[in-house]
Amino acid sequence: MTGPQGPRAVTGQHRIEDLLREFAPQVLAALIRRYGQFDTCEDAVQEALLAAALQWPAQGVPDRPRSWLLTVAGRALVDAWRADSARRRRETAAAVDPTDHPPAAARAVHHWAVHVSADLAGADPDDTLALLYLCCHPTLSPPSQLALTLRAVGGLTTAQIAAAFLVPEATIAKRIVRAKQRIRDTGARFELPGESARSERLGVVLQVLYLMFNEGYSTSSGPALQRPDLIAEAIRLTRLLLHRLLPDEVEVAGLLALMLLTNARRAARTDTDGRIVPLADQQRDLWDSAAIAEGQAILIRTLGTGPVGPYQLQAAIAALHDEAPTAQTTDWPQILALYDVLATVAPGPVVTLSRAVALAQVHGPTAALALLGTLDTDQRIAHTHRLEAVRAHLLEQAGDTTAAHQSYLRAAKMTASLPEQRYLELRAARLHPA
Amino acid sequence: MKYMIMMFGGLGGAIEDRSPEWITGMHELLMKLDTELKESGECVASDALVDPSQARTVRFAGGAPVSTDGPFAEVKESLAGYWIVDVDEERALQIASQVVGYTEYPMEVRRIMDHSAQP
Repeated sequence: MTGPQGPRAVTGQHRIEDLLREFAPQVLAALIRRYGQFDTCEDAVQEALLAAALQWPAQGVPDRPRSWLLTVAGRALVDAWRADSARRRRETAAAVDPTDHPPAAARAVHHWAVHVSADLAGADPDDTLALLYLCCHPTLSPPSQLALTLRAVGGLTTAQIAAAFLVPEATIAKRIVRAKQRIRDTGARFELPGESARSERLGVVLQVLYLMFNEGYSTSSGPALQRPDLIAEAIRLTRLLLHRLLPDEVEVAGLLALMLLTNARRAARTDTDGRIVPLADQQRDLWDSAAIAEGQAILIRTLGTGPVGPYQLQAAIAALHDEAPTAQTTDWPQILALYDVLATVAPGPVVTLSRAVALAQVHGPTAALALLGTLDTDQRIAHTHRLEAVRAHLLEQAGDTTAAHQSYLRAAKMTASLPEQRYLELRAARLHPA
Repeated sequence: MKYMIMMFGGLGGAIEDRSPEWITGMHELLMKLDTELKESGECVASDALVDPSQARTVRFAGGAPVSTDGPFAEVKESLAGYWIVDVDEERALQIASQVVGYTEYPMEVRRIMDHSAQP
Protein backbone atom coordinates (compact mmCIF):
# COMPACT_ATOMS: atom_id res chain seq x y z
CA MET A 1 0.00 0.00 0.00
CA THR A 2 1.11 3.51 -0.70
CA GLY A 3 0.77 6.43 1.69
CA PRO A 4 -2.64 7.22 3.15
CA GLN A 5 -3.02 10.54 1.32
CA GLY A 6 -2.10 9.76 -2.27
CA PRO A 7 -4.58 7.22 -3.61
CA ARG A 8 -7.45 8.43 -1.46
CA ALA A 9 -6.98 12.03 -2.60
CA VAL A 10 -7.07 10.87 -6.21
CA THR A 11 -10.17 8.78 -5.62
CA GLY A 12 -11.81 11.74 -3.86
CA GLN A 13 -11.07 13.97 -6.82
CA HIS A 14 -12.58 11.42 -9.18
CA ARG A 15 -15.62 11.05 -6.98
CA ILE A 16 -16.21 14.81 -7.05
CA GLU A 17 -15.91 14.91 -10.83
CA ASP A 18 -18.32 11.97 -11.15
CA LEU A 19 -20.81 13.67 -8.84
CA LEU A 20 -20.62 16.94 -10.74
CA ARG A 21 -21.14 15.18 -14.06
CA GLU A 22 -24.10 13.30 -12.72
CA PHE A 23 -25.75 16.33 -11.14
CA ALA A 24 -24.98 19.00 -13.75
CA PRO A 25 -27.76 18.05 -16.19
CA GLN A 26 -30.23 17.41 -13.34
CA VAL A 27 -29.64 20.81 -11.78
CA LEU A 28 -29.75 22.51 -15.16
CA ALA A 29 -33.00 20.78 -16.07
CA ALA A 30 -34.58 21.77 -12.73
CA LEU A 31 -33.62 25.42 -13.27
CA ILE A 32 -34.91 25.49 -16.86
CA ARG A 33 -38.15 23.78 -15.86
CA ARG A 34 -38.70 26.48 -13.26
CA TYR A 35 -37.43 29.58 -15.04
CA GLY A 36 -37.11 28.82 -18.77
CA GLN A 37 -34.15 30.60 -20.38
CA PHE A 38 -31.75 27.80 -21.25
CA ASP A 39 -28.84 30.20 -21.82
CA THR A 40 -29.00 32.08 -18.50
CA CYS A 41 -29.64 28.89 -16.53
CA GLU A 42 -26.69 27.16 -18.17
CA ASP A 43 -24.39 30.04 -17.16
CA ALA A 44 -25.67 29.79 -13.60
CA VAL A 45 -25.01 26.03 -13.45
CA GLN A 46 -21.48 26.60 -14.75
CA GLU A 47 -20.86 29.03 -11.90
CA ALA A 48 -22.12 26.49 -9.39
CA LEU A 49 -19.94 23.73 -10.88
CA LEU A 50 -16.93 26.00 -10.73
CA ALA A 51 -17.63 26.89 -7.10
CA ALA A 52 -17.99 23.19 -6.27
CA ALA A 53 -14.76 22.29 -8.07
CA LEU A 54 -12.97 24.94 -6.01
CA GLN A 55 -14.57 24.32 -2.61
CA TRP A 56 -15.37 20.62 -2.36
CA PRO A 57 -11.84 19.21 -2.62
CA ALA A 58 -10.72 21.44 0.29
CA GLN A 59 -13.85 21.56 2.45
CA GLY A 60 -15.29 18.16 1.65
CA VAL A 61 -18.42 17.24 -0.30
CA PRO A 62 -21.54 18.74 1.34
CA ASP A 63 -24.11 16.37 2.86
CA ARG A 64 -26.63 17.12 0.15
CA PRO A 65 -24.48 17.99 -2.86
CA ARG A 66 -27.36 18.32 -5.30
CA SER A 67 -29.22 20.77 -3.10
CA TRP A 68 -25.95 22.69 -2.60
CA LEU A 69 -25.47 23.00 -6.38
CA LEU A 70 -29.08 23.99 -6.92
CA THR A 71 -28.90 26.72 -4.27
CA VAL A 72 -25.62 28.15 -5.60
CA ALA A 73 -26.87 28.00 -9.20
CA GLY A 74 -30.16 29.62 -8.15
CA ARG A 75 -28.28 32.46 -6.45
CA ALA A 76 -26.11 32.95 -9.53
CA LEU A 77 -29.29 33.15 -11.60
CA VAL A 78 -30.73 35.85 -9.33
CA ASP A 79 -27.43 37.74 -9.45
CA ALA A 80 -27.50 37.60 -13.23
CA TRP A 81 -31.04 38.96 -13.35
CA ARG A 82 -30.20 41.64 -10.82
CA ALA A 83 -27.17 42.76 -12.85
CA ASP A 84 -29.32 42.69 -15.95
CA SER A 85 -32.13 44.80 -14.49
CA ALA A 86 -29.61 47.21 -12.94
CA ARG A 87 -28.10 47.66 -16.36
CA ARG A 88 -31.51 48.20 -17.89
CA ARG A 89 -32.28 50.79 -15.21
CA ARG A 90 -29.06 52.63 -15.94
CA GLU A 91 -29.70 52.46 -19.65
CA THR A 92 -33.21 53.87 -19.45
CA ALA A 93 -32.36 56.15 -16.51
CA ALA A 94 -35.89 55.42 -15.34
CA ALA A 95 -37.28 54.98 -11.86
CA VAL A 96 -37.14 51.64 -10.12
CA ASP A 97 -39.18 48.99 -11.88
CA PRO A 98 -42.05 48.14 -9.51
CA THR A 99 -41.90 44.48 -10.48
CA ASP A 100 -38.22 44.25 -9.58
CA HIS A 101 -37.63 43.16 -5.99
CA PRO A 102 -34.21 41.51 -5.92
CA PRO A 103 -34.05 40.50 -2.23
CA ALA A 104 -37.45 38.87 -2.45
CA ALA A 105 -36.41 37.08 -5.61
CA ALA A 106 -33.26 35.80 -3.92
CA ARG A 107 -35.25 34.47 -0.97
CA ALA A 108 -37.71 32.81 -3.31
CA VAL A 109 -34.95 31.07 -5.24
CA HIS A 110 -33.33 29.75 -2.10
CA HIS A 111 -36.65 28.53 -0.78
CA TRP A 112 -37.41 26.81 -4.03
CA ALA A 113 -33.94 25.25 -4.30
CA VAL A 114 -34.24 23.62 -0.89
CA HIS A 115 -37.66 22.23 -1.76
CA VAL A 116 -37.03 21.06 -5.26
CA SER A 117 -33.73 19.36 -4.47
CA ALA A 118 -35.59 16.94 -2.24
CA ASP A 119 -37.77 15.94 -5.20
CA LEU A 120 -34.75 15.42 -7.40
CA ALA A 121 -33.70 12.26 -5.58
CA GLY A 122 -35.22 10.18 -8.34
CA ALA A 123 -34.15 12.59 -11.06
CA ASP A 124 -36.04 12.16 -14.29
CA PRO A 125 -33.70 10.66 -16.89
CA ASP A 126 -35.91 12.26 -19.56
CA ASP A 127 -34.43 15.59 -18.44
CA THR A 128 -30.98 14.45 -19.52
CA LEU A 129 -32.38 13.26 -22.82
CA ALA A 130 -34.27 16.54 -23.34
CA LEU A 131 -31.04 18.43 -22.66
CA LEU A 132 -29.12 16.20 -25.04
CA TYR A 133 -31.67 16.88 -27.79
CA LEU A 134 -31.57 20.61 -27.08
CA CYS A 135 -27.75 20.69 -27.30
CA CYS A 136 -27.88 18.69 -30.54
CA HIS A 137 -30.30 21.18 -32.08
CA PRO A 138 -30.10 20.83 -35.87
CA THR A 139 -29.46 24.54 -36.45
CA LEU A 140 -26.08 24.29 -34.64
CA SER A 141 -22.84 23.27 -36.33
CA PRO A 142 -21.38 19.90 -35.25
CA PRO A 143 -18.50 21.51 -33.26
CA SER A 144 -21.02 23.69 -31.40
CA GLN A 145 -23.31 20.73 -30.71
CA LEU A 146 -20.35 18.82 -29.32
CA ALA A 147 -19.05 21.65 -27.13
CA LEU A 148 -22.49 22.45 -25.75
CA THR A 149 -23.28 18.77 -25.07
CA LEU A 150 -20.00 18.30 -23.20
CA ARG A 151 -20.72 21.33 -21.05
CA ALA A 152 -24.47 21.21 -20.41
CA VAL A 153 -24.96 17.43 -20.36
CA GLY A 154 -21.46 16.21 -19.55
CA GLY A 155 -20.73 18.79 -16.87
CA LEU A 156 -17.24 19.50 -18.26
CA THR A 157 -15.86 23.00 -17.74
CA THR A 158 -14.99 25.24 -20.66
CA ALA A 159 -11.31 24.81 -19.74
CA GLN A 160 -11.59 21.01 -19.87
CA ILE A 161 -13.32 21.11 -23.24
CA ALA A 162 -10.71 23.55 -24.56
CA ALA A 163 -7.91 21.27 -23.37
CA ALA A 164 -9.54 18.27 -25.01
CA PHE A 165 -9.73 19.99 -28.38
CA LEU A 166 -6.44 21.89 -28.05
CA VAL A 167 -8.01 25.25 -28.71
CA PRO A 168 -7.92 28.37 -26.55
CA GLU A 169 -10.53 28.54 -23.81
CA ALA A 170 -11.91 31.78 -25.26
CA THR A 171 -12.70 29.98 -28.53
CA ILE A 172 -14.81 27.35 -26.78
CA ALA A 173 -16.45 29.99 -24.56
CA LYS A 174 -17.48 32.02 -27.60
CA ARG A 175 -18.66 28.92 -29.44
CA ILE A 176 -20.90 28.03 -26.50
CA VAL A 177 -22.27 31.57 -26.16
CA ARG A 178 -23.15 31.64 -29.86
CA ALA A 179 -24.74 28.20 -29.69
CA LYS A 180 -26.90 29.23 -26.75
CA GLN A 181 -27.96 32.45 -28.48
CA ARG A 182 -28.96 30.47 -31.51
CA ILE A 183 -31.03 28.06 -29.43
CA ARG A 184 -32.75 31.03 -27.81
CA ASP A 185 -33.40 32.62 -31.21
CA THR A 186 -34.99 29.47 -32.59
CA GLY A 187 -37.38 29.47 -29.64
CA ALA A 188 -36.60 25.80 -28.98
CA ARG A 189 -38.35 24.56 -25.87
CA PHE A 190 -36.98 22.42 -23.10
CA GLU A 191 -38.93 19.27 -23.72
CA LEU A 192 -38.54 15.95 -25.41
CA PRO A 193 -39.28 16.42 -29.10
CA GLY A 194 -42.29 14.53 -30.46
CA GLU A 195 -41.91 10.98 -31.73
CA SER A 196 -41.16 11.84 -35.36
CA ALA A 197 -38.85 14.77 -34.60
CA ARG A 198 -37.11 12.60 -32.03
CA SER A 199 -36.24 9.78 -34.42
CA GLU A 200 -35.27 12.38 -37.01
CA ARG A 201 -32.87 13.99 -34.57
CA LEU A 202 -31.62 10.78 -32.98
CA GLY A 203 -29.19 10.56 -35.89
CA VAL A 204 -27.61 13.88 -34.92
CA VAL A 205 -27.48 12.91 -31.24
CA LEU A 206 -25.72 9.63 -32.05
CA GLN A 207 -23.37 11.45 -34.40
CA VAL A 208 -22.40 13.90 -31.65
CA LEU A 209 -21.78 11.03 -29.23
CA TYR A 210 -19.73 9.16 -31.83
CA LEU A 211 -17.76 12.32 -32.61
CA MET A 212 -17.06 12.74 -28.89
CA PHE A 213 -15.82 9.16 -28.70
CA ASN A 214 -13.67 9.42 -31.82
CA GLU A 215 -12.14 12.69 -30.73
CA GLY A 216 -11.18 10.95 -27.49
CA TYR A 217 -10.00 7.73 -29.09
CA SER A 218 -8.02 9.22 -31.93
CA THR A 219 -7.47 12.94 -31.47
CA SER A 220 -7.16 14.74 -34.77
CA SER A 221 -4.07 16.73 -33.80
CA GLY A 222 -1.52 17.26 -31.06
CA PRO A 223 1.00 15.25 -29.08
CA ALA A 224 -1.32 12.87 -27.20
CA LEU A 225 -3.06 10.05 -29.00
CA GLN A 226 -6.03 9.67 -26.68
CA ARG A 227 -8.25 11.71 -24.38
CA PRO A 228 -9.75 9.23 -21.89
CA ASP A 229 -12.04 11.94 -20.49
CA LEU A 230 -13.94 12.30 -23.74
CA ILE A 231 -14.12 8.52 -24.22
CA ALA A 232 -15.57 8.00 -20.75
CA GLU A 233 -18.12 10.76 -21.24
CA ALA A 234 -19.25 9.46 -24.64
CA ILE A 235 -19.70 5.93 -23.25
CA ARG A 236 -21.49 7.20 -20.15
CA LEU A 237 -24.00 9.25 -22.17
CA THR A 238 -24.62 6.51 -24.74
CA ARG A 239 -25.14 3.98 -21.96
CA LEU A 240 -27.61 6.35 -20.30
CA LEU A 241 -29.43 6.89 -23.57
CA LEU A 242 -29.75 3.14 -24.13
CA HIS A 243 -30.36 1.70 -20.69
CA ARG A 244 -32.58 4.33 -19.20
CA LEU A 245 -34.30 5.90 -22.17
CA LEU A 246 -34.20 4.06 -25.48
CA PRO A 247 -33.64 0.34 -24.77
CA ASP A 248 -35.27 -0.70 -28.06
CA GLU A 249 -33.30 1.52 -30.45
CA VAL A 250 -30.94 -0.92 -32.19
CA GLU A 251 -28.57 1.77 -33.42
CA VAL A 252 -28.14 3.20 -29.91
CA ALA A 253 -27.26 -0.33 -28.80
CA GLY A 254 -24.98 -0.66 -31.82
CA LEU A 255 -23.17 2.56 -30.99
CA LEU A 256 -22.63 1.58 -27.35
CA ALA A 257 -21.35 -1.85 -28.42
CA LEU A 258 -19.05 -0.23 -30.99
CA MET A 259 -17.59 2.13 -28.37
CA LEU A 260 -17.07 -0.66 -25.82
CA LEU A 261 -15.56 -3.10 -28.32
CA THR A 262 -13.21 -0.46 -29.75
CA ASN A 263 -12.20 1.06 -26.44
CA ALA A 264 -11.47 -2.43 -25.07
CA ARG A 265 -8.25 -2.38 -27.12
CA ARG A 266 -7.10 1.01 -25.86
CA ALA A 267 -4.38 -0.17 -23.47
CA ALA A 268 -2.71 -2.17 -26.23
CA ARG A 269 -2.92 0.57 -28.83
CA THR A 270 0.23 2.37 -27.70
CA ASP A 271 3.47 1.06 -26.20
CA THR A 272 5.09 2.39 -23.03
CA ASP A 273 6.70 5.24 -24.98
CA GLY A 274 3.37 6.34 -26.43
CA ARG A 275 4.06 4.92 -29.87
CA ILE A 276 1.21 3.50 -31.98
CA VAL A 277 0.94 -0.30 -32.11
CA PRO A 278 -1.09 -1.55 -35.10
CA LEU A 279 -3.91 -4.04 -34.46
CA ALA A 280 -1.96 -7.02 -35.83
CA ASP A 281 0.96 -6.41 -33.43
CA GLN A 282 -1.08 -5.66 -30.30
CA GLN A 283 -0.61 -7.67 -27.12
CA ARG A 284 -4.08 -9.15 -26.93
CA ASP A 285 -3.93 -10.03 -23.24
CA LEU A 286 -3.99 -6.27 -22.58
CA TRP A 287 -7.47 -6.03 -24.08
CA ASP A 288 -10.28 -5.39 -21.61
CA SER A 289 -12.21 -8.67 -21.57
CA ALA A 290 -15.07 -7.28 -19.44
CA ALA A 291 -15.72 -4.50 -21.96
CA ILE A 292 -15.56 -7.02 -24.82
CA ALA A 293 -18.05 -9.30 -23.05
CA GLU A 294 -20.43 -6.39 -22.46
CA GLY A 295 -20.20 -5.26 -26.08
CA GLN A 296 -20.79 -8.80 -27.36
CA ALA A 297 -23.79 -9.27 -25.05
CA ILE A 298 -25.38 -6.06 -26.32
CA LEU A 299 -24.86 -7.15 -29.92
CA ILE A 300 -26.27 -10.63 -29.35
CA ARG A 301 -29.29 -9.18 -27.58
CA THR A 302 -30.12 -6.66 -30.29
CA LEU A 303 -28.96 -8.15 -33.62
CA GLY A 304 -31.97 -8.87 -35.79
CA THR A 305 -34.46 -7.00 -33.58
CA GLY A 306 -34.58 -4.05 -35.98
CA PRO A 307 -33.23 -2.81 -39.29
CA VAL A 308 -29.45 -3.20 -39.42
CA GLY A 309 -27.59 0.11 -39.26
CA PRO A 310 -24.02 1.35 -39.67
CA TYR A 311 -23.19 1.45 -35.94
CA GLN A 312 -24.36 -2.12 -35.45
CA LEU A 313 -22.36 -3.32 -38.45
CA GLN A 314 -19.21 -1.58 -37.29
CA ALA A 315 -19.71 -3.05 -33.82
CA ALA A 316 -20.04 -6.54 -35.32
CA ILE A 317 -16.76 -5.99 -37.18
CA ALA A 318 -15.05 -4.78 -33.99
CA ALA A 319 -16.39 -7.87 -32.19
CA LEU A 320 -14.83 -10.19 -34.78
CA HIS A 321 -11.44 -8.55 -34.22
CA ASP A 322 -11.85 -8.76 -30.44
CA GLU A 323 -12.82 -12.45 -30.56
CA ALA A 324 -9.71 -13.56 -32.43
CA PRO A 325 -7.08 -14.96 -30.02
CA THR A 326 -4.33 -14.00 -32.52
CA ALA A 327 -4.16 -11.68 -35.54
CA GLN A 328 -3.68 -14.74 -37.77
CA THR A 329 -6.94 -16.36 -36.65
CA THR A 330 -9.05 -13.27 -37.42
CA ASP A 331 -12.18 -14.19 -39.40
CA TRP A 332 -11.43 -11.91 -42.36
CA PRO A 333 -13.99 -13.44 -44.77
CA GLN A 334 -16.75 -12.63 -42.26
CA ILE A 335 -15.34 -9.12 -41.73
CA LEU A 336 -15.25 -8.55 -45.49
CA ALA A 337 -18.87 -9.72 -45.76
CA LEU A 338 -19.89 -7.19 -43.10
CA TYR A 339 -18.02 -4.40 -44.91
CA ASP A 340 -19.88 -5.35 -48.09
CA VAL A 341 -23.17 -4.78 -46.24
CA LEU A 342 -21.85 -1.57 -44.68
CA ALA A 343 -20.85 -0.29 -48.12
CA THR A 344 -24.50 -0.72 -49.18
CA VAL A 345 -26.12 0.68 -46.01
CA ALA A 346 -23.75 3.63 -45.50
CA PRO A 347 -21.40 4.03 -48.46
CA GLY A 348 -18.50 6.44 -48.13
CA PRO A 349 -14.76 6.74 -48.72
CA VAL A 350 -13.83 5.71 -45.16
CA VAL A 351 -15.86 2.50 -45.51
CA THR A 352 -14.16 1.80 -48.87
CA LEU A 353 -10.79 2.28 -47.20
CA SER A 354 -11.56 -0.20 -44.42
CA ARG A 355 -13.10 -2.61 -46.89
CA ALA A 356 -9.85 -2.53 -48.90
CA VAL A 357 -7.92 -3.68 -45.81
CA ALA A 358 -10.28 -6.64 -45.37
CA LEU A 359 -10.18 -7.37 -49.09
CA ALA A 360 -6.38 -7.58 -48.95
CA GLN A 361 -6.59 -10.20 -46.21
CA VAL A 362 -9.07 -12.34 -48.15
CA HIS A 363 -8.14 -11.82 -51.81
CA GLY A 364 -4.64 -10.34 -51.59
CA PRO A 365 -3.12 -6.85 -51.81
CA THR A 366 -3.45 -6.46 -55.60
CA ALA A 367 -7.26 -6.56 -55.49
CA ALA A 368 -7.20 -4.15 -52.55
CA LEU A 369 -4.87 -1.70 -54.32
CA ALA A 370 -7.25 -1.67 -57.28
CA LEU A 371 -10.12 -0.77 -54.94
CA LEU A 372 -8.02 2.04 -53.39
CA GLY A 373 -7.45 3.39 -56.89
CA THR A 374 -11.14 4.28 -57.03
CA LEU A 375 -10.59 6.72 -54.15
CA ASP A 376 -7.87 8.74 -55.90
CA THR A 377 -10.47 10.95 -57.53
CA ASP A 378 -12.67 11.21 -54.42
CA GLN A 379 -12.07 14.72 -53.12
CA ARG A 380 -13.30 13.75 -49.64
CA ILE A 381 -10.31 11.48 -49.03
CA ALA A 382 -7.81 11.78 -51.90
CA HIS A 383 -5.62 14.26 -50.04
CA THR A 384 -5.64 12.66 -46.59
CA HIS A 385 -2.87 10.67 -44.97
CA ARG A 386 -5.28 7.81 -44.26
CA LEU A 387 -5.58 6.80 -47.91
CA GLU A 388 -1.81 7.03 -48.38
CA ALA A 389 -1.06 5.09 -45.17
CA VAL A 390 -3.34 2.21 -46.20
CA ARG A 391 -1.76 2.22 -49.66
CA ALA A 392 1.69 2.02 -48.07
CA HIS A 393 0.68 -1.01 -45.97
CA LEU A 394 -0.82 -2.75 -49.02
CA LEU A 395 2.27 -2.06 -51.13
CA GLU A 396 4.39 -3.50 -48.34
CA GLN A 397 2.17 -6.61 -48.24
CA ALA A 398 2.53 -6.90 -52.02
CA GLY A 399 6.33 -6.88 -51.61
CA ASP A 400 6.85 -3.61 -53.49
CA THR A 401 9.34 -2.21 -50.96
CA THR A 402 10.42 0.85 -52.93
CA ALA A 403 6.89 2.07 -53.62
CA ALA A 404 5.83 1.28 -50.03
CA HIS A 405 8.76 3.28 -48.65
CA GLN A 406 7.82 6.32 -50.75
CA SER A 407 4.17 5.91 -49.85
CA TYR A 408 4.88 5.79 -46.09
CA LEU A 409 6.97 8.96 -46.41
CA ARG A 410 4.17 10.71 -48.33
CA ALA A 411 1.67 9.70 -45.66
CA ALA A 412 4.02 10.95 -42.90
CA LYS A 413 4.18 14.33 -44.61
CA MET A 414 0.39 14.52 -44.89
CA THR A 415 -0.67 13.77 -41.31
CA ALA A 416 -1.32 16.40 -38.64
CA SER A 417 -1.00 13.87 -35.79
CA LEU A 418 2.44 13.67 -34.24
CA PRO A 419 2.20 10.04 -32.99
CA GLU A 420 0.93 8.94 -36.41
CA GLN A 421 3.71 10.84 -38.13
CA ARG A 422 6.30 9.11 -35.96
CA TYR A 423 4.75 5.71 -36.61
CA LEU A 424 4.76 6.30 -40.37
CA GLU A 425 8.36 7.58 -40.34
CA LEU A 426 9.44 4.40 -38.60
CA ARG A 427 7.55 2.16 -41.02
CA ALA A 428 9.27 3.99 -43.87
CA ALA A 429 12.72 3.65 -42.31
CA ARG A 430 12.23 -0.10 -41.79
CA LEU A 431 11.84 -0.53 -45.53
CA HIS A 432 14.73 1.66 -46.52
CA PRO A 433 17.17 -0.26 -48.70
CA ALA A 434 20.17 0.66 -46.52
CA MET B 1 13.80 36.71 -21.20
CA LYS B 2 12.00 34.63 -23.74
CA TYR B 3 13.63 32.91 -26.66
CA MET B 4 12.19 31.09 -29.63
CA ILE B 5 14.18 28.02 -30.63
CA MET B 6 13.33 27.07 -34.18
CA MET B 7 13.75 23.85 -36.14
CA PHE B 8 13.67 23.88 -39.90
CA GLY B 9 13.17 21.54 -42.80
CA GLY B 10 10.57 19.00 -43.81
CA LEU B 11 10.78 15.31 -43.09
CA GLY B 12 12.25 14.49 -46.46
CA GLY B 13 15.82 15.67 -46.12
CA ALA B 14 16.06 14.94 -42.40
CA ILE B 15 14.98 11.30 -42.26
CA GLU B 16 14.89 9.76 -45.71
CA ASP B 17 18.29 8.07 -45.43
CA ARG B 18 18.28 7.33 -41.72
CA SER B 19 17.99 3.97 -39.99
CA PRO B 20 14.98 3.08 -37.84
CA GLU B 21 17.29 3.24 -34.80
CA TRP B 22 18.37 6.79 -35.65
CA ILE B 23 14.76 7.90 -36.10
CA THR B 24 13.66 6.24 -32.87
CA GLY B 25 16.56 8.00 -31.13
CA MET B 26 15.50 11.36 -32.53
CA HIS B 27 11.86 10.86 -31.48
CA GLU B 28 13.01 9.91 -27.99
CA LEU B 29 15.35 12.90 -27.72
CA LEU B 30 12.65 15.36 -28.77
CA MET B 31 10.00 13.87 -26.47
CA LYS B 32 12.38 13.71 -23.52
CA LEU B 33 13.55 17.28 -24.01
CA ASP B 34 9.98 18.50 -24.40
CA THR B 35 8.93 16.77 -21.16
CA GLU B 36 11.97 18.12 -19.30
CA LEU B 37 11.37 21.70 -20.44
CA LYS B 38 7.70 21.51 -19.47
CA GLU B 39 8.43 19.95 -16.07
CA SER B 40 11.14 22.50 -15.27
CA GLY B 41 8.76 25.31 -16.17
CA GLU B 42 11.18 26.73 -18.73
CA CYS B 43 8.91 25.97 -21.67
CA VAL B 44 6.27 28.62 -22.39
CA ALA B 45 4.97 27.00 -25.56
CA SER B 46 6.06 24.39 -28.06
CA ASP B 47 4.59 22.83 -31.14
CA ALA B 48 5.43 21.02 -34.29
CA LEU B 49 4.03 22.17 -37.63
CA VAL B 50 2.75 19.86 -40.35
CA ASP B 51 5.16 19.14 -43.18
CA PRO B 52 5.97 22.21 -45.33
CA SER B 53 4.56 20.35 -48.35
CA GLN B 54 1.14 20.90 -46.74
CA ALA B 55 1.64 24.67 -46.48
CA ARG B 56 -0.09 27.27 -48.59
CA THR B 57 1.38 30.66 -49.31
CA VAL B 58 -0.60 33.82 -49.91
CA ARG B 59 1.14 36.22 -52.28
CA PHE B 60 0.18 39.57 -53.72
CA ALA B 61 -0.03 38.89 -57.45
CA GLY B 62 -1.78 40.79 -60.21
CA GLY B 63 -3.11 43.33 -57.75
CA ALA B 64 -4.75 40.86 -55.37
CA PRO B 65 -3.84 38.26 -52.73
CA VAL B 66 -3.59 34.82 -54.32
CA SER B 67 -2.95 31.58 -52.45
CA THR B 68 -0.82 28.80 -53.89
CA ASP B 69 0.30 25.38 -52.64
CA GLY B 70 3.70 25.13 -50.99
CA PRO B 71 5.76 26.91 -48.35
CA PHE B 72 7.11 30.48 -48.56
CA ALA B 73 10.77 29.48 -48.15
CA GLU B 74 12.69 26.52 -49.55
CA VAL B 75 11.50 23.34 -47.81
CA LYS B 76 14.81 22.99 -45.95
CA GLU B 77 14.46 26.57 -44.66
CA SER B 78 10.81 26.29 -43.75
CA LEU B 79 9.82 26.32 -40.06
CA ALA B 80 9.11 22.78 -38.80
CA GLY B 81 8.61 23.34 -35.09
CA TYR B 82 9.52 25.58 -32.19
CA TRP B 83 9.97 25.92 -28.47
CA ILE B 84 9.39 29.21 -26.67
CA VAL B 85 11.46 29.09 -23.49
CA ASP B 86 11.71 31.55 -20.62
CA VAL B 87 15.47 31.34 -19.90
CA ASP B 88 18.67 33.32 -20.42
CA GLU B 89 20.48 33.20 -23.72
CA GLU B 90 23.15 30.79 -22.56
CA ARG B 91 20.54 28.22 -21.53
CA ALA B 92 18.59 28.70 -24.78
CA LEU B 93 21.74 27.96 -26.78
CA GLN B 94 22.43 24.94 -24.60
CA ILE B 95 18.94 23.54 -25.27
CA ALA B 96 19.35 23.99 -29.03
CA SER B 97 22.79 22.36 -28.87
CA GLN B 98 21.30 19.18 -27.40
CA VAL B 99 19.19 18.72 -30.53
CA VAL B 100 21.78 19.89 -33.05
CA GLY B 101 24.33 17.52 -31.46
CA TYR B 102 22.10 14.64 -32.51
CA THR B 103 20.50 15.77 -35.79
CA GLU B 104 23.56 17.70 -37.10
CA TYR B 105 20.95 20.07 -38.58
CA PRO B 106 21.03 23.82 -37.72
CA MET B 107 18.56 25.54 -35.37
CA GLU B 108 17.91 29.21 -34.81
CA VAL B 109 17.67 30.88 -31.39
CA ARG B 110 16.11 34.32 -31.31
CA ARG B 111 14.94 36.53 -28.48
CA ILE B 112 11.27 37.47 -28.37
CA MET B 113 10.70 41.21 -28.07
CA ASP B 114 9.34 42.70 -24.85
CA HIS B 115 5.92 44.27 -24.76
CA SER B 116 6.88 46.66 -21.97
CA ALA B 117 8.95 49.81 -22.59
CA GLN B 118 12.64 49.42 -21.73
CA PRO B 119 13.68 51.52 -18.70
